[in-house]
Amino acid sequence: MASLKEDPILGIDGITIKEEFGIGKPVIDKLRDDRLALETEGTVIKGESVIDKVREEGSGGQGERDMVPPTSNSIHRSGSRPQLDLSKAAIEGNFEERDPTILLPNQSDDISHLALDIGGSLIKLVYFSRHQDRPTNDKRKKTVKERLGISNGNRRSYPILGGRLHFVKFETSKINECLDFISSKQLHRGGMDSHSWHSDTSSNGNAVIKATGGGAYKYADLFKERLGVSLDKEDEMDCLVAGANFLLKAIRHEAFTHMEGQKEFVQIDQNDLFPYLLVNIGSGVSMIKVDGDGKFERVSGTNVGGGTYWGLGRLLNQCKSFDELLELSQKGDNRTIDMLVGDIYGGMDYNKIGLSASTIASSFGKTISEKKELTGYRPEDISLSLLRMISYNIGQISYLNALRFGLKRIFFGGFFIRGHAYTMDTISFAVHFWSKGEAQAMFLRHEGFLGALGAFMSYEKHGLDDLMVHQLVERFPMGAPYIGGKIHGPALGDLNEKISWMEKFVQKGTEITAPVPMASSGTTGLGGFEVPSSKGGTLRSDASALNVGVLHLVPTLEVFPQLADPKMYEPNTIDLADHSELEYWFTVLSDHLPDLVDKAVASEGGTDDSKRRGDAFARAFSAHLARLMEEPAAYGKLGLANLLELREECLREFQFVDAYRSIKHRENEASLAVLPDLLVELDSMTEETRLLTLIEGVLAANIFDWGSRACVELYHKGTIIEIYRMSRNKMQRPWRVDDFDAFKERMLGSGDKKPCPHKRALLFVDNSGADVILGMLPLARELLRHGTEVVLVANSLPALNDVTAMELPDIVAEAAKHCDILRRAAEAGGLLVDAMINTSDGSKENSSSVPLMVVENGCGSPCIDLRQVSSELAAAAKDADLIVLEGMGRALHTNFNARFKCDTLKLAMVKNQRLAEKLIKGNIYDCVCRYEPAS
Amino acid sequence: MEHNREVEIDGNSNPIQISRLALDIGGSLIKLVYFSRNSGDDEDPPKDKVGVSSGVNGRLHFAMFETAKINDCLQFISANKLLLGGGFQHQENCTNGMSFIKAVNQEAFTYLNGSKEFVQINHNDLYPYLLVNIGSGVSMIKVDGDGKFERVSGTSVGGGTFWGLGKLLTKCQSFDELLELSHRGDNKAIDTLVGDIYGGMDYSKIGLSSTTIASSFGKATSHCKELEDYKPEDISWSLLRMISNNIGQISYLNALRFGLKRIFFGGFFIRSHSYTMDTIAVAVHFWSKGEAKAMFLRHEGFLGALGAFMSYERHSLDDLVVNQMMPLPVNASLGTDTNYDPLNGDINGTESIQCSVYRA
Repeated sequence: MASLKEDPILGIDGITIKEEFGIGKPVIDKLRDDRLALETEGTVIKGESVIDKVREEGSGGQGERDMVPPTSNSIHRSGSRPQLDLSKAAIEGNFEERDPTILLPNQSDDISHLALDIGGSLIKLVYFSRHQDRPTNDKRKKTVKERLGISNGNRRSYPILGGRLHFVKFETSKINECLDFISSKQLHRGGMDSHSWHSDTSSNGNAVIKATGGGAYKYADLFKERLGVSLDKEDEMDCLVAGANFLLKAIRHEAFTHMEGQKEFVQIDQNDLFPYLLVNIGSGVSMIKVDGDGKFERVSGTNVGGGTYWGLGRLLNQCKSFDELLELSQKGDNRTIDMLVGDIYGGMDYNKIGLSASTIASSFGKTISEKKELTGYRPEDISLSLLRMISYNIGQISYLNALRFGLKRIFFGGFFIRGHAYTMDTISFAVHFWSKGEAQAMFLRHEGFLGALGAFMSYEKHGLDDLMVHQLVERFPMGAPYIGGKIHGPALGDLNEKISWMEKFVQKGTEITAPVPMASSGTTGLGGFEVPSSKGGTLRSDASALNVGVLHLVPTLEVFPQLADPKMYEPNTIDLADHSELEYWFTVLSDHLPDLVDKAVASEGGTDDSKRRGDAFARAFSAHLARLMEEPAAYGKLGLANLLELREECLREFQFVDAYRSIKHRENEASLAVLPDLLVELDSMTEETRLLTLIEGVLAANIFDWGSRACVELYHKGTIIEIYRMSRNKMQRPWRVDDFDAFKERMLGSGDKKPCPHKRALLFVDNSGADVILGMLPLARELLRHGTEVVLVANSLPALNDVTAMELPDIVAEAAKHCDILRRAAEAGGLLVDAMINTSDGSKENSSSVPLMVVENGCGSPCIDLRQVSSELAAAAKDADLIVLEGMGRALHTNFNARFKCDTLKLAMVKNQRLAEKLIKGNIYDCVCRYEPAS
Repeated sequence: MEHNREVEIDGNSNPIQISRLALDIGGSLIKLVYFSRNSGDDEDPPKDKVGVSSGVNGRLHFAMFETAKINDCLQFISANKLLLGGGFQHQENCTNGMSFIKAVNQEAFTYLNGSKEFVQINHNDLYPYLLVNIGSGVSMIKVDGDGKFERVSGTSVGGGTFWGLGKLLTKCQSFDELLELSHRGDNKAIDTLVGDIYGGMDYSKIGLSSTTIASSFGKATSHCKELEDYKPEDISWSLLRMISNNIGQISYLNALRFGLKRIFFGGFFIRSHSYTMDTIAVAVHFWSKGEAKAMFLRHEGFLGALGAFMSYERHSLDDLVVNQMMPLPVNASLGTDTNYDPLNGDINGTESIQCSVYRA
């Protein structure tokens, strides 16, 4: 543009590209290339002169060739330096301005996509944010990648973005809060794709946001005025179906049934999803037969829907809001309004046709004969009768339509449901009743977000279509238990605001009480016929509504390839659907909380700031617990592993990076000090004795576990080595679960027959200190001695005192100082590249050793879900023929019942009386040595 | 007394002293069927007459009372010296009553756009059919033959719902008054139509016209108006359409499910009320995409009572009806397809569902 003034600055959120990123000539060349590409498609680039200008300026910059991604669509490259992907770059805003902003839609870091579903009562936002990866340039990783042959290449034409998918709701009446939120998070800046770029920028270079719902028309001008963005309207039904398909395919336990107040999550086989009936209950009801992605047909519907409930309810009750009406129904008794079968047949069932006395014969039928006026009836009763009438009717018509088209599943969604337990119960009851138990109504956890998600899916090139279920991790951030995804007020920016927010909640008296013993959560009685019990004094009125977390998209996650049956695999051994279990673990976690906070605060130096964060963490985590006590299904299917991970995530959210940092360090030091003596002791034994001693050692050392309260008490009574020796001496075979002989035979053979050693062993390690150094390392050493490659598998992120993959190389290096076997193997595995060790031996001799490697497992939890492991673990596992799972978290709480394709050894000391009784019918400190040959 | 209709039965054998009464005491209405000898009261020339060439001469009377006013009914019974019949099983009686339609010519008719067309049912091709009895609630009964039937479905949204909700919303004192109101109603004020959502346009992508009701009472969610601001006429009409539409839809889906060729609608809700019939007919037409038609019966509302009555003398009157009706000349002249809408296809066609409506 000719009128452009001198020295334009290319700013991204106020950062000048030139200074911050050292923009080089190749980048500019690429910019120009893209511009050319755009021009050939007939689009005028208004910022042409800006680009040219930058090229001139940039030509003097450092011309690092490899700074520029070789392909124009490469979104993410890890490296020490931030990268800019300038493809599709655009000058935004008025070009008369001095400082036009350049939009970089394909720039990967912190770029968001936003889609909206603007309904009559709620605005639903789905936005995607890509955060910068944590540094990944450690040498260990590089070597592992080389060794395991992990390529960085992408199979897709464009890579899947790693990042987070957020789900947020606003009330439509408070649309300004929504606009503030978008504006403060700059969500509208990235909300464009190549398609909209081509079609819209020719006029004014303005961004486009995908939107659906009636409000997409109504509020288009407001968005234009306030945010300068246009809303690109997407068809509602297209969005609904796209959203439902995505959720059902990408989220493992998205669907659930709801009978008599009980939610049960259903895992749906992706390959067996279609066809299904999607019933969207808005003002009216649409019934859509879905045959596949983008293949659907509206087959039926009914005009008796949410609008009817709300409309009639308002006329009859003078309620101010839909939620108020819904809440009234909780306390209602429909017997005063509805004519029941018993009313007609003198209180008796009409057995002949299978109708019980409490079946509704005629909705509102009783009001005919009563002499009462409208005001003579309780609004609660009217609301309940209305709710039942409409829910039953929808359930019935849906079932008849499913039957008609031979559809196996019926999913219900839409604003009428709102996670309201009684509504779901009545619909479920109707489907169950009319199908004589053969069909089940199912609901979706992200039910309110189908449209917004579908609109989001309509963007091109986000790659989400290709996402697999194992690449998504749902996390529940602080505040989730309070607000359930509904946002009021501006976005919380930084940690400080988050802490203040938590504090404010406490001040307002909304404090969530510590977990209380749980009452059976039956909201309704048999068959949905009884009066729903009211839930007073809970966090929110829609207590049974489900919370929606943030979906973390981690494209690098993979399914552990050695799982014998990935489809049937369930990581959790303990099902928290059992209320007594839930209660027990909640108590354990609550009791442990003060100690954890102390450690966390100490790990950050005990400053005032860390104390404040510690308090906020304690509140936030207690709130999570209270919420889950109130509604165990609130966060989806809940296993112990999820609960333990929630705690770690909550710590990280308040920037406690590693609460056990100093403890781990201290224990590692102490253990490394006694390792040489232990190795000497081991080497003096015969092979057979040594193997037993090694397994004993692993079990004995597993006592060092800060996750176990019993063990924490032990620590105060002696030094590490004392406890270790005492523990090992106590190892009396047979253990509670004792497959040692079978394992020994596999390792050493029987008689003269020498078995072929394992090619590669994966050792899933547990705690820092004695556990890994005195237990697992010597076992690894023994395997190396047999000629077996050893891969130590450790956490990616800290959890309790578990050793992490980042810490292990240093530990191994330290241990290798005293042991040639470990040293040569570590060198061969690339762990000692930089380590300062004595390399007086010839290096050629060393290279003959089998390697010892370290890989990260992809998680930050004391447990492990083997459906979602890091790509490097998955790669390492491909050639493995022995798996050793060690410790309670990975071998008992999770994976105790898992079966693998290769030989598996599960080793753990049970440091919890209840678990010991439940799992192995034993006692605390009993040991498990379970060996399962390849299946 | 709400209704009093008579069917004359001309028998030519020895006059028996019959003054039999049968009752169907429903949640909202009590239906009476009683028989009187020819010598009985003859105020009006009977509107509906059934000729029977043998048996007794007399009249079948049909009367209806509100259940709430059961004392009126008892008074009526005692005043007319009617003997009270025994107990009853409602459902059985409905189907018994239905057998009667075999006897009465031009009992069934279709109703669409305000015009009535009588349909001749071939007796050999009557079964199976769906009988939808709309009383306070709605029963859907699959009838496979005489005495062979099964209640396959139903809905609690029926006549009682219309009347009950209508009473609460409009302060109408009687069902008829409420129905009367609906004549003058306009549902645009209360229902959300497809056009309201799509800016006056059809949602043609899924084949919904702009006047299709998207959400019954959907407009009442607006905060600007209270109950008093809506015309009772409009409320009544919206309510009627909501309920009729729903019954029509569920009935059609059930007929489809069991492969039934005909749906007969009956029960007091219909009440020969043209709007009720029209909306049910429209619903069936809409959901079946024109493949099915709603059919109504002239003696609707009295099926239960009539069936109870029939159960007195199953063997005589049943046989009498079937046997005596057949040879009537009028039968032959009407036994053609002339009463059928071309859309409806042949009565023997296996694909289409024919919905019949019975009423009295």
